[in-house]
Parts: sequence; C-alpha cells; structure tokens
Amino acid sequence: MTGSQGSVATQDLTKSFGGVRAIDGASVAFKEGEINALIGPNGSGKTTFFNCVTGMIRPDAGTVTYQDRDVTGLPPHRIARSGIGRSFQLCRVFPRLTVLENVLVAVQPHGLLQRLRGSRNAADVGRARELLARVGIDHLEHAEARDISYGQQKLLELAGVLMGDPHTIMLDEPAGGVNPALVERIADLVRELNAEGRTFIIVEHNMELVMGLSDHVVVFDRGRPIAQGTPAVVQDDPLVLEAYLGV
Amino acid sequence: MPNASSPTAAPAPTRSGRPTAARVARIAGLLALVAVVLLFPSLAPDPFILSVGVVILSYAVLATSWNLVGGFTGYISLGHAAYSGLGGYATALLILRTGLDPWLALIAGGLIVALIAIPVGIASLRVRGASFVIVSIALVLILQLTFQSWHDFTGGSGGLRVPRPFGTEVLRPEQHERFFYLHAVLLALALLTWWAIERSRLGAGLKAIREDEDKAQALGVPTFAYKLTALVTSAFFTALGGGLYALWFGYLDPIFQFSILVGTYMVLMSLLGGVRSLFGPLLGAVVVGYAVEVFKSQYGDTQLHLVATGVLLGLVVLFMPDGVIPALTSFVNRRRRAASIREVSAEELANQREEAAR
Repeated sequence: MTGSQGSVATQDLTKSFGGVRAIDGASVAFKEGEINALIGPNGSGKTTFFNCVTGMIRPDAGTVTYQDRDVTGLPPHRIARSGIGRSFQLCRVFPRLTVLENVLVAVQPHGLLQRLRGSRNAADVGRARELLARVGIDHLEHAEARDISYGQQKLLELAGVLMGDPHTIMLDEPAGGVNPALVERIADLVRELNAEGRTFIIVEHNMELVMGLSDHVVVFDRGRPIAQGTPAVVQDDPLVLEAYLGV
Repeated sequence: MPNASSPTAAPAPTRSGRPTAARVARIAGLLALVAVVLLFPSLAPDPFILSVGVVILSYAVLATSWNLVGGFTGYISLGHAAYSGLGGYATALLILRTGLDPWLALIAGGLIVALIAIPVGIASLRVRGASFVIVSIALVLILQLTFQSWHDFTGGSGGLRVPRPFGTEVLRPEQHERFFYLHAVLLALALLTWWAIERSRLGAGLKAIREDEDKAQALGVPTFAYKLTALVTSAFFTALGGGLYALWFGYLDPIFQFSILVGTYMVLMSLLGGVRSLFGPLLGAVVVGYAVEVFKSQYGDTQLHLVATGVLLGLVVLFMPDGVIPALTSFVNRRRRAASIREVSAEELANQREEAAR
C-alpha cells in the first residue's frame, strides 16, 4: 500500500478478436491512491482492457503490471488475490444464492483447512453484514439475489468485491442503468473508499459523474489511449472532442 | 424432509443454540429417516423386497455422489457410470488378481478411481455446458468398449464373477440384509460429505461456480481446483457405490456397468429430488428406483420402465424444475407468509444478529 509502488500499468497491450484490434498497443499507467477514470466511445476497447488486466482474457502481446509485478496472463483468481477487485458491465451477481451468500463467496483464504471451514462462521458473516450495511442493503440479506432490484444488485456486487478487501477496485459502468439518487450514493461510496486508501479505475459513460468524481482521466479511442490528465485538461483536448463528437 | 441447503427458506439460516421450529422439524425428519432405514430389513415381507431396498439404496449412493459435482458446480455428467463401473471392476479385479481382502479392495478401488478422475477432470473440466456433457458420455462409451474387448484382463463381454465377501454359509436373505446396512452406511458418509462441503467456504465457491463461473473467478475463487476437487470426491464415492454393489450382486457385465442409462438415472434422480438439497438425490432414488423396479416386475423385460421414467422426468421439468424438495419447501413457505421476500423489521434484525453473535 506504499505510495511509491505503481498501480495497474500496461505496456504495448494488444488483443485482437478475429480481424478487429480491440486493444492496439496500449501503454497506460493508472495512478496509485487516486480515482482513475477510463472513458472513450463505444467499442474503444475499455471492457476488453478491463478483461485483459483482470485475467478474464489473455492478451496477444504486451504486459500488465500491478504494483510493479508482472501479472500478465495470470488466471483471474490469482489477480483477484493480488488485490484487484472488479465489477462487471452488466452487473453480475449469483442469482440463486442469497444476498448474504453472495458476499461470503469472496472469502477464499489459502490452505485446504481454511477452505473447509464453515462459510457461515460468525467472523465472516459479521464482516459481510457490515459491508451490506455499508452499501445499504443489509435488510435484504436473506433474499435471493435474483429477487432484488437492479440497483440493489449493483450495490450487492460492490459489497461482494469489498469482501475480498481489494486494494484496487475496477468498476465497469457503475452508474449504468441506475437512477440518479443511486448514482449519487455510489459516487459517495467510491469517495469514502478512496479516502480509506483504495485506488479506483472506473469505466463510465456518465460524463458528469466522471468529471465530478475522478482525479485522473484516461481517454481510449480505437484500442489505445489518446489523452490523459485531470478532468479539466482532458475535457478541452481537441483529440477527445474529435473522438467523441466526430468533429 | 429436511432441506440442508434451503435456499428459499428465509428464516434462521444463522446457527443458534436455541431450538427453532424449523430446527426441531429438521431433526425429527432426520430421526424418522434413520428409523425407516434401520427398520426396513425387519419390515420387508420377503427377500425380494429387501433386495429392491438394496437396489434403491445403491441408486441413492450413486445419485448423492453424482450430486457432489452435479449439484454444486452445475457440471452435468451423464457418464458417471464410468466411475461406478470402474469402482466395481477395480474391486473385483483387486480381489481376483491380488487376493486382497474384499473390503480393502473396495476402498483401494475407490482410491484408484479417484486417481483416474484427476486426469479425466483436468481434460474435461476445461469445457462447459453441452461440451462437458458430451465428453462425459464419450468416456463411458470408451470404457464400455475397452472392457468388452480386453478379455484377458476384464473378462470381456462374457462378464466377470465377483467373489462373495461373506461365506456360503450366509444365506441370500442374510446377504441382502448385510448389504442393505452397508449401503446405508456408505450413503450416510456421502450425505455427510455433501453436508460438510455445502456449509464450507469450498462449498460457497462451488455454488458460485454453478451460478456464474467467470464472476466467481473474479472474486478470487480458484475455480479449476475447486471443480477438480468436487469431481474427484464425487468419483471416489461413486466408485465405492459401484464396488459395494458389485460385491453384493456378484457379477459384472460391461454392458450394464458402463451404461449411459445408469449415468442418466443418477442425473434423473438428482433433478427429481432437487440438486440443491442434501436429501434431493435420495428422494429421487426412492421414487425412480421404486418405479423402475415396479415396472420391471410388472411388465417384465420391456422398455416400458424407460417410457415411464421419461414421462416422470418431463412432468418434473415442466412443473417442478428445481425438483420436489425445493417445490415443497417453497410451497410450505408460501403458506406460512404471503410474500417470498420479507422485509425484516429492525427488531427482528437485531434479534437475528444477537443470535448469530452468540
């Protein structure tokens, strides 16, 4: 957690699907301890970038480092263990598990005996309830995840990510499809968690949210970064205006 | 019947020292089940009925063992007869070729099959959904052909006679009774294993794999190792089930040992009772096993029992897609309160937490 270490960084990252270069030699360095935003037009490779970083897909070329360690091509659970938690674009919860069970899944310590220990032990359940209370859905703990609203599922997903106590949290469109009041709540949570020392990397289309929330913005177009800097700098960048508005 | 996984049962998933109504009902159900199993041999009117009881318990062992991987991970193996068949042959061949004590041979056979399941799992668990199903079928077909044609070692298509573990002075009804209890013990071990995994962190990870494998991995679940653990555990118990049955039945034929039908029964029984419930596969085995035996005895060697089984499965999938136990549980829960999700009052929440903290 020392500030001298780098956060997520990539060097010449490349990933093609068939003939399409989803990520095209992207070299990006996100800032440790800050709220980073990753923006760009639809199809600019943001989600593919997330998937490469978190090990969900293997890049064709290039490297991913986290806290100055090479994590390229590691399986997703190893990356999760190294301290990167993530949410999914269309929020994903375990539909037939209860809200509480959803959060408890993230407790997977090393060692066979640890893993054979009861999942519903007082310590884990207590922590899970704290997190559910923190995101504001502790009253739903016995409901199955498929029965709660989409907004509540988003909060549940965040609670599940937090249960793994990640140092870095990657959120893929946290404000997508949720009402304005909830967007505010999610933004407040992100600020609070950041104040506790957690680094964020957020993909988001809601510009108002991005500009209000983030310290550092990276703009993607056609699979590579075309601009980066503070929200104010990025907003006035002619390349960014061109990518977004086609002017 | 008690329902250990109880995903729909809202009240009291927290463990507390005080007995709740649900807890009392659960323990009473369990005691009733044990009593029925213990008393069955003395209540059975004739040896044939007792032998049907052995067959049903054997199915229950196989289905519960199948559910260790099918129910937890959602990977539907139609070829689990590979492991029961190998368990039977391993037990028989160890006795015949090495002169090992039958009971040691049974356990050694289970361990050998568990070892075989490791490379099989490494190869087959890489694919999901329909591909996994097809790979599992391929395995059992390959084994059937191998064991049919490898005369010198397996006895080939002529079959293999399995030596009896009990001497000839033990008569047939007495054999049935002993094997009935042996199967009951094995079933209890398989159920206990399922129960222990269900409550563990391993179980939480496995159920997450069933729901959304990629998401589980992103949360730090080592999915491949977990799936392999479940498969190997399942193969071990399935092989013990196959071996014990072989010791009782006394004869092995590759056609029946490595049959798609046996694997399909394990799946049917589990789905019928409910794959998310501890006792689901057992209930399914009682219903399907009994029905199959009745049809066989009533209509002889026709294929009618297959038609009846098919109709039964169709009805279950249409009306109780989660199986009988979840359907009954949610029916009872609906009758107890109107809504399936209940907002808990602040007071109730405080009480629950107090219980959990204890």
